[in-house]
Amino acid sequence: MMTLDRMRADVARLIDLEPEEVADDANLADLGLDSMRLMQLAMGWEQAGLAVDFGVLAEYSTLGDWWREIVAPQVRA
Amino acid sequence: MGADAAVALRPLTEAQEGLWYFQALDPSNPILNTGQYLDLTGPVDLPALREALARTLAETEALRLRFAATAEGPRQWLSGELPPVAELDLRGHPQTEAEALRWMQADSAHPADLAAGPVAGFALILLPGGRVLVYERIHHLAIDGYGMVLLTDRIGAHYGHLTGQSAAPLPFPPLSRADEEDAAWRASPRRAEDGAWWKAELAGLPEVASPGTLAGERAISAAAFHRESLWLPEALAARLAAFSEAHGLAWPEVLTGLAGAWLARWSGGETVIGMPFMARMGRRIARLPCMAMNVLPLHLHPDEEAPLADWLRAAAAKMREARRHGLYRSEQLRRDLGLVGGTRRLYGPLVNVQPFDRPPVFPGLEVRLNILGAGAVDDLTFTFRGDPQAGLLFETDANPALYTAEDVAAHSARLVAFLDAALAAGRLAEVPTASPADLAAQAAQARATVHPLPETTLVEMIAGKLADHPDAPALTYGGTTLTRAEVDRRSAALAGALAARGAGPGRIVAVALERGLELPVALLAAMRVGAAYLPLDPDHPPERLARILAMAQPVVLLTSAELRGRFPADAPAFLPEDWPTAGEAPAGPAPDDMAYVIYTSGSTGEPKGVVIEQRAIVNRLWWMRDHYRIGPGDRILQKTPATFDVSVWEFFLPFLSGAELVMAPPGAHRDPAALAGLIRRHGITVLHFVPSMLSAFLAAPESKGLPIPHVFCSGEELTPDQRNRFHARLRGGLHNLYGPTEAAVDVSFWEAGPDDRSSPLPIGWPVWNTRLEVLDDRMRPVPPGLPGRLFLGGVQLARGYLGRDDLTAARFVADPSRPGERLYDTGDLARLRPDGAVVYLGRLDHQVKIRGLRIELGEIEAAIMATGLARECVVLAREDHAGEKRLVAYLVPAGDHVPGALAARLAKVLPAYMVPAAEVALPALPVTANGKLDRKALPAPEFRASGRPADGAGEKLLARLYAEVLHLDAPPPAEADFFGLGGDSLSAVRLGLRIAQETGQDPGLGAIFETPVLEHLAARLAAGAAPSNGAGPLLLLAEGDPDAPPLVLIHPAGGLAWGYRGLARALGGARRVWGLQHPGLAADAPMPASLEALAQDYAARVAGIAPERVHLAGWSVGGILAQAVAVQLAAAGRPPGMVALLDSYPAEAWRAEPEPDPVAALRALLAIAGHDPEAHRDLDTRAKVVAFLRAGDTAMGALPEALLDGVVRVVTDTNRLVRGHVHRRYPGPLTHVRAGLDHGGRPLSAAMWAPHAEKVEELSVPFLHPQMTSPAAVALIAPILAQRMG
Repeated sequence: MMTLDRMRADVARLIDLEPEEVADDANLADLGLDSMRLMQLAMGWEQAGLAVDFGVLAEYSTLGDWWREIVAPQVRA
Repeated sequence: MGADAAVALRPLTEAQEGLWYFQALDPSNPILNTGQYLDLTGPVDLPALREALARTLAETEALRLRFAATAEGPRQWLSGELPPVAELDLRGHPQTEAEALRWMQADSAHPADLAAGPVAGFALILLPGGRVLVYERIHHLAIDGYGMVLLTDRIGAHYGHLTGQSAAPLPFPPLSRADEEDAAWRASPRRAEDGAWWKAELAGLPEVASPGTLAGERAISAAAFHRESLWLPEALAARLAAFSEAHGLAWPEVLTGLAGAWLARWSGGETVIGMPFMARMGRRIARLPCMAMNVLPLHLHPDEEAPLADWLRAAAAKMREARRHGLYRSEQLRRDLGLVGGTRRLYGPLVNVQPFDRPPVFPGLEVRLNILGAGAVDDLTFTFRGDPQAGLLFETDANPALYTAEDVAAHSARLVAFLDAALAAGRLAEVPTASPADLAAQAAQARATVHPLPETTLVEMIAGKLADHPDAPALTYGGTTLTRAEVDRRSAALAGALAARGAGPGRIVAVALERGLELPVALLAAMRVGAAYLPLDPDHPPERLARILAMAQPVVLLTSAELRGRFPADAPAFLPEDWPTAGEAPAGPAPDDMAYVIYTSGSTGEPKGVVIEQRAIVNRLWWMRDHYRIGPGDRILQKTPATFDVSVWEFFLPFLSGAELVMAPPGAHRDPAALAGLIRRHGITVLHFVPSMLSAFLAAPESKGLPIPHVFCSGEELTPDQRNRFHARLRGGLHNLYGPTEAAVDVSFWEAGPDDRSSPLPIGWPVWNTRLEVLDDRMRPVPPGLPGRLFLGGVQLARGYLGRDDLTAARFVADPSRPGERLYDTGDLARLRPDGAVVYLGRLDHQVKIRGLRIELGEIEAAIMATGLARECVVLAREDHAGEKRLVAYLVPAGDHVPGALAARLAKVLPAYMVPAAEVALPALPVTANGKLDRKALPAPEFRASGRPADGAGEKLLARLYAEVLHLDAPPPAEADFFGLGGDSLSAVRLGLRIAQETGQDPGLGAIFETPVLEHLAARLAAGAAPSNGAGPLLLLAEGDPDAPPLVLIHPAGGLAWGYRGLARALGGARRVWGLQHPGLAADAPMPASLEALAQDYAARVAGIAPERVHLAGWSVGGILAQAVAVQLAAAGRPPGMVALLDSYPAEAWRAEPEPDPVAALRALLAIAGHDPEAHRDLDTRAKVVAFLRAGDTAMGALPEALLDGVVRVVTDTNRLVRGHVHRRYPGPLTHVRAGLDHGGRPLSAAMWAPHAEKVEELSVPFLHPQMTSPAAVALIAPILAQRMG
């Protein structure tokens, strides 16, 4: 089951930060997340069973948005 | 806008604006048509493909964009019209693929009409075997690279859905999101913050160069580009992936960093690359086909020594930072930083890593993606598409204005080799910029110069030639020719005598002789005894000569009685009158014995003696003899001073090849007309020119049409212009040679033939057994095009510097690629052409060449410091006017420095050509931010005139005319002195003419000479003072202390004192300097009855200037007059201070000479004007002489008619006066300065004045009689006179 904190941990690992440094409303690009790393994330999450599209993820700039707009609706469903 | 007028006009996004302005500059440029095509193979479902394409086009709003300029700025709107789709069936075409490509390229080459549309076009091209090409062409204003990926992937997604193999894709968001994002960005505080970040980040940006813009070319995209495309080798891709993985780096950043490191090699180790950035992450346009991308400047300064991963990690951090601020437009940044226009730019080449740019998926089909164009290519663009697993397509696109197709292929290969080597080496320092292919080509060229020669010496080779045909002419000087047998006999005899004086192998024989028959015999004899000869220039200051003798310790000094006095009394002189005429030559040298030692300028303040061995010079001369097929029948002109190593081949090649050696008379090498005469008279077939002298020679009327089979140039850069003028004017071969004294004269050659179009003109190819290597600052080989330091290797290298192992070790270094061998570090900057020829680019250190003479500025600086007149100093060779290099000394004064004091002091220790032409005193030397001397901040000496700007109509007019006549950049200030700004007699004549033209009032030349300061001249003109033609009897030549006794300079034969301007300037300041001119210059003045009468007149005028006491001096006839005036003054009880005679001889010396006819007297005018009368024997009437002078560009030729008449009258009358004069005794001392290089055939000496004075001080300077008032002579004479005036 995907959780916000698991997503946070995945993001943090990829950009060499501690999970608590990745706030819900932090701009991920500012934290160093680039398109290549985002692609890696999307592929990992897809393998974990989430229906996430790289392009759609890229339309949002924060972890909070991802959770609210893309992931939570799926997890609740 | 027609039917679309109702739709909403929207402003462009920031991202679009930059492109809009680029396209608006040239609407016909199609480079912004981005294009690509998919190559589909397999069972293509054509109806599904058509539908997939149609659906994609329908949902991509950007394809319907239109653009136009409006009063409010550029606007865009959506048209209702879908882009066209063509369908081409080429299945029956004979050359389907080529035709398809041609069609697509033609379509892409068609500029889009942005207002009328469409901005995009598509095609399905049917090829045999079921293959289908899907062609897409979209203007960059509508889409960027990632947008193209989205669109192309979408065609595949629809195809998959239509063929029932995948789900329907999510629709694209509306294009209005691009406007919304843009509006949000423009309004966001982030924009200003990011802008500020960039401005801080890019402060102190280096000037960017790239392989195609090393010479500062402008990088502006053309309408097309070159493309070299290849797949990175799988092993390299795997190495890239493994390296990135191992070091926790992202491979795109590794690739970007390494490509940047390679580019930095072309930009002085530091560069700014452009990094395309998709600018979509975290934005609502992430899935929207539109134009959003930005190009981020990335400033890279690779640490070549650091472990590669460390440096790359730092570079990657920089890239991440840049992306974080990546929405700030680079076009805006260029404006912020003032990098717009000219060659200014923010970044150089682009490095574009596109991991997402992979072929789209069409289920069931094989798909290949081909990029046709991705927008403007200003310079060079490296693009990597795909990823290490799927494969990396590497495209090198280049601006055809800056790169040839061959360049592009070569750079592409070099970068691939560099990536591979860098990933393997783990440290950039170990990786050369040149590729293995470059190195192989260079090695092949080096092998081609190998030309084994027998172990021999010049002596052996020459002995063989002299014995052959002993009666053949070998050596000619003036009217005398020696046969080979005679040269053999004389040199053998002298060699025997030298042996008796201790000369032999390993010893040095110094030679200081003027050109004549003795000089070549002396050099040959020194070699025949096995010793090395050491040429000395008697023109050099005695202190310098003594220093060299002390360093070299020659066993013998071969010099003449006349020059003997210039050397220390204990020098072991051996004069020609004592040379034996018969005797046996000893055994001679071995191949590794010293052949000659030539001293060159040294940076430490001490000249250094280059030791060349026999083997080295044998190689050089043997090569020249064979390469140019020089032999009996050739006549080689010897005109280069023996201290300049070019003379080595002039002296020895004739003896070695059986050619005849023709010695030019002393001084002839500086007179183009005399040279042309010599060449004609002796049928010269081989001679040498320093290029600047070649220019003067080509400009002389006498050189026209001369046939000269071999003209060799070296010592300076030969320019394409000189080459072209040579072939337009002369018939013969022109050879450009290059080499330092440290490598046996020349090491490379280039045929500058009539068909050569090279620009710049290369120094060319190595001579036999010689290597020219261009290495970077880590001694790594560089590829063609990249400037590096030129090193020389091979048999011609010098043994080293005599007695200076430290200097030898510093310049002769171990060859990194050939253990045990040496390389000589030339200190020259050079590059290889793609064909391997070497191009000289300039000096790396502070050495300069002026008229072919090598000068270490450090030696001059050391000499300045040694005077104690400066606390700090720096010397530059400035070229403020094209083609005119001058030495300028900048100093912070110390001790008892007064302006102008330096030159006189330096002239005692440095050769004249090393004495700075100007000195500029500064309170401190300017330094840059990092504490280095800021050379650019040093003022040009001419423009130092500072002060009040010209004011009022009169001054402003003069300021404009001064600037015009003297080629000044800006009008000079009111205090400017015409002559201080570089004016001379000739430009004064021009200024006078211009003033007359502008004002209708002829100021007279004298006005300019007497009041050269702008404000004074203006005041004088305003006062309406009577015009002076500068020919009045008294002319103030230089202002000075009015209380000190003035110096009066008395005119030579021509009657004018203008020629003393230089001497007067050197001696002014401390006193006024007046010129006395012949009263007979005035049109209706009677001629004086006698010289005594003239002297009486002058004595009266002198008394009028300074009733108390004056100093007198005169050149030539002026000296005779000075003595006579001194007699008059002494008789009146007012004896003068100094009485100086510059190469003057008393009247009785001339009385015995036959009375010259009037024409001969006239011809003296030619000499006064600076021509060699002997070269113009055809000018035998007054009319011809005057016409010739008028055609030339000397001051004499520009004289007003009446004045020229006066000069002619005075010249003709002078002989009469001199011959009739009887000197009276002057009861005081005379100072006599002899022109030491002149009077070869005449018994003229200072002692002749002994009966006419209390005593005579005898001095000599190394010049010819006509040169005594030249700047070089003034540098020596002025201090002598200054000292005697106290």
